[in-house]
Amino acid sequence: MLERMWLIRAFEERASEMYARNQIAGLLHLGIGQEAVAVGLASALEPRDRTFGGHRAHAHALARGADPTRLLAEIAGRSTGYCGGKGGSMHISAPEVGFVTATGVVGGNIPLALGAALAATYSGDGSVTAVTFGDGAGQTGSFHESLNIASLWGLPILFVCENNGYAEFSPLSAHTRVERLARHAETYGIPAVTVDGNDAAAVLGAAQVGVARARAGGGPTFIEALTYRLRGHYEGDPGKYRELTEVTDWKLRDPITRFVADQGLEADTAELEDRARAAVDAATEAALAAPRASPDQLLSQVTAAVSQ
Amino acid sequence: MLPDLPAPELVAQLRTMLRIRRFEEALIGLAADHEIGHFHVYVGQEATGVPALALLEDGDVAYTTHRNHGHLIARGVSPAGMAAEILGKATGLNRGKGGTLHLASAAHGFPTTSSSVGGPLPIAVGSAFAFQELGLDRVSVALFGDGALEEGAWHESINIAAMRRAPVIFLCENNSLEALGQKANEYPSSTLAAVRLTDLVDPFGVPAVALDGTDTRAVHEAMAAAVARARSGGGPSFIEARTVRWPGNRPLWPQLLTGETDVAYAWDPERIPVEHEKWWARQDGLLRFLRELLGAGLLTPGDASAIDTQARAEMAGAMTFALQSPFPRPEEALEHVFA
Amino acid sequence: MSTLRFIDAIRNGLDIEMRRDPSVVVLGEDVTYGGPFGATKGLAEAHGSRIRDTPISEATVVGLAVGAAVSGLRPVVEIMYIDFITLAMDQLVNHGAKLRYMTNGLLRAPMVIRAQGGARGSMGAHHSQSLEAWFGHLPGMTVVAPSTPADAQGLLQAAIRSDDPVLYLEHRGLYWQKGEVPDEDDRVVVPIGKAIVRRPGSDLTIVSWSHMMGAALDAADGLAGDGIEAEVIDLRSLLPFDMDTLLASVGRTGRLVVAHEAVTRGGMGAEIAAQVQERAWAELAAPVARVGAPFVPPPFAPELERAFVRDADAIIAAARHVLDTPARGGTPTPSPEPVEA
Repeated sequence: MLERMWLIRAFEERASEMYARNQIAGLLHLGIGQEAVAVGLASALEPRDRTFGGHRAHAHALARGADPTRLLAEIAGRSTGYCGGKGGSMHISAPEVGFVTATGVVGGNIPLALGAALAATYSGDGSVTAVTFGDGAGQTGSFHESLNIASLWGLPILFVCENNGYAEFSPLSAHTRVERLARHAETYGIPAVTVDGNDAAAVLGAAQVGVARARAGGGPTFIEALTYRLRGHYEGDPGKYRELTEVTDWKLRDPITRFVADQGLEADTAELEDRARAAVDAATEAALAAPRASPDQLLSQVTAAVSQ
Repeated sequence: MLPDLPAPELVAQLRTMLRIRRFEEALIGLAADHEIGHFHVYVGQEATGVPALALLEDGDVAYTTHRNHGHLIARGVSPAGMAAEILGKATGLNRGKGGTLHLASAAHGFPTTSSSVGGPLPIAVGSAFAFQELGLDRVSVALFGDGALEEGAWHESINIAAMRRAPVIFLCENNSLEALGQKANEYPSSTLAAVRLTDLVDPFGVPAVALDGTDTRAVHEAMAAAVARARSGGGPSFIEARTVRWPGNRPLWPQLLTGETDVAYAWDPERIPVEHEKWWARQDGLLRFLRELLGAGLLTPGDASAIDTQARAEMAGAMTFALQSPFPRPEEALEHVFA
Repeated sequence: MSTLRFIDAIRNGLDIEMRRDPSVVVLGEDVTYGGPFGATKGLAEAHGSRIRDTPISEATVVGLAVGAAVSGLRPVVEIMYIDFITLAMDQLVNHGAKLRYMTNGLLRAPMVIRAQGGARGSMGAHHSQSLEAWFGHLPGMTVVAPSTPADAQGLLQAAIRSDDPVLYLEHRGLYWQKGEVPDEDDRVVVPIGKAIVRRPGSDLTIVSWSHMMGAALDAADGLAGDGIEAEVIDLRSLLPFDMDTLLASVGRTGRLVVAHEAVTRGGMGAEIAAQVQERAWAELAAPVARVGAPFVPPPFAPELERAFVRDADAIIAAARHVLDTPARGGTPTPSPEPVEA
């Protein structure tokens, strides 16, 4: 688990650097500081299980085992990326490791995940679907509609809310009087827990309970993971809406440092970090050397009929 | 039980309920002989809408749904204009452009009717928001059914209304009780995972009450409290009024399955047909109200019959008016798209 | 006259109308902070609670705007990316656009939805669409798309003053462009439904709007180098649009190229072409040509996005095509635009 957390950290930091050097175009939403949720969750899942992410999803894809080279190539718009450069950061997909898709529309992925969970009930493959979203999604209509249907149909789904306290530039309190989004799950009779999202072991524990419940046919679970994004909403966000002391306070609760201390991995952490950074270096080199997305690929894969 | 109101007002509410009942029955009769398209009737829910809407004043607005006839009549809209509109005539409330689904009368506080489930909820919140901004002492009422609570728009509306402490009343008429043959996911049904509809309101800290929609005292008291709360800046309220769905509303098109209402059922139970005994004897809120008025000595059977006769005549006249009215000119189809 | 950036002209228009009319309120996500591009920056300090942040609830916020509009306010809703207007379609399409008609004029919904869109900066398929054709197809809706700071301010003020729901389309590629904006109220407000000839010419007509106007004017410059004088018209309003100005121009030139960023298929260009050929058949010397995006979702990678958004070269090629096509009776040469299903 620590190795994965380091991989995510290294990857996101590298993405940030590349973005600053204009090697990555568009919008970049990084999950630095939220590694424990991604890894805790993924560690409870099996290869047959599916994950849906939001716009801040690199960590979740990597936690499921996505290839950092192909992921970085995608984010950098290379034809060797997972989506041939057509998706980009907010629309990554790595289905072979169970990461189905990210989305650029807040809350837009939640109904999608329900569909995957429903399919699992027909195929009987025993798979579980996890959908991750932020606190901002809790006020969207599709969030409400999805909780309802998941509960009604007893779908094998984990709702994982990464409550990092901010929806873009606004604190959660500006969006709702409800303080804990898990409360909404209770309304629909969905078992819900709120955990320290920076404690990977706690996230794992909660996820395991949810996965077991889903696989046994017990329906959905809601996990609210309290965490914090150490960088802005996107790369380039000056972050004027939050106090610098808040950021530094949360840095002291760094999930990686926490995990190392809790698990007694002081002896291993340096090596795991090195390994992770080396992997990211290799991924960077490969991504930058790869051919850029080519216009002759523009028209392909619109529909099954139009595939070149 | 009866609301704590003066007798003349209670009798007036009975009159309104009977007028609604006879309007809907006349419409169903009309539909048997004339092509009037799909429509929805308020039979069996009069005991909720009439006492609740009686508490609104001029300037207050209400937004309702496809099941709107009863609400409009309750606030004094002309049945003749409504019938004409339902038939698409030029003399209709909306000159034939809206039909049953979009009956509107701004003068009576019905800016619009929406036929998309959940559609009126954000708009009702919007009126309440405007009243706040403009400093107006007015209330906005969202009238909807249990089905609307499945729409994302409900969740967003209650959240924003709670955040802003908006003067909006969410009045949910849950007519899903004891629907014969109803299974989960069967249209129409309440497909909500929440055990109680009011559970959906709790997270937002909005006062919520569930009551028997045929208990006119409960309806009156809950609505009075909600209106007072809204007007005093206390924010939104949620009321769930439960009724059994009228058997005639279970098929896709309304049908007079139980036969026409006979007000004598209220004082002469022997007349009640065995086949629909449960409905007439125990579930129909209008008859319950009438029985309570009779029991309290506020009305005699003769009075009730007279009111009923008048109501029947009025609604027969409304239907005749509608049938005899002309259709709008085709050119009018292009008018009033823009300013 | 002031020189303003497009984004500042928007803010100016909002500020002026808010001072002028106390019923104008602004709603949107993060609008008190200024929004992601700063369009509303500073307005909260000036106008207090008339600028309100909303949760991520496009459906309810747009519906709320409709209800507020019928109850005496003039809301201006910011939809952060037009791609998200899809969440509000019921409220906008079924309610906002239809109220006046359904109530036969008893009601009006004076509201503006400001939506930023278009492909720029590789933001991918959920942040790059041009959807004006959907709303150009919607009875009851007004749709405007300014391309200069003066029109940005002038059309926004006109939109706010309109008694109908207006979709006011912005393109983030225009936000930082500067231009002259009149200071006086009677000079700045731009009438809705009025196009403007940006560049007179006699050989052919090019009509465009919003960000594509830049490529249209560049194309005209390129053609001028070869002695071809193109008349370039900025449509400005898409619904209603100014057929008179367009027909007068085509009457003189006999050839028309419509260029827009949105996908060609089913785009506004199709409606323009259909109307022009119906009404100016005798004047046309060649079929109307359209230049628009290929029928694909907006792709992410910069190379692909550049291939997706058409440029001056594509417009020049289309112009040459309509000029080279033989007059009526001959065989038309194949269009340079790709053939799509």
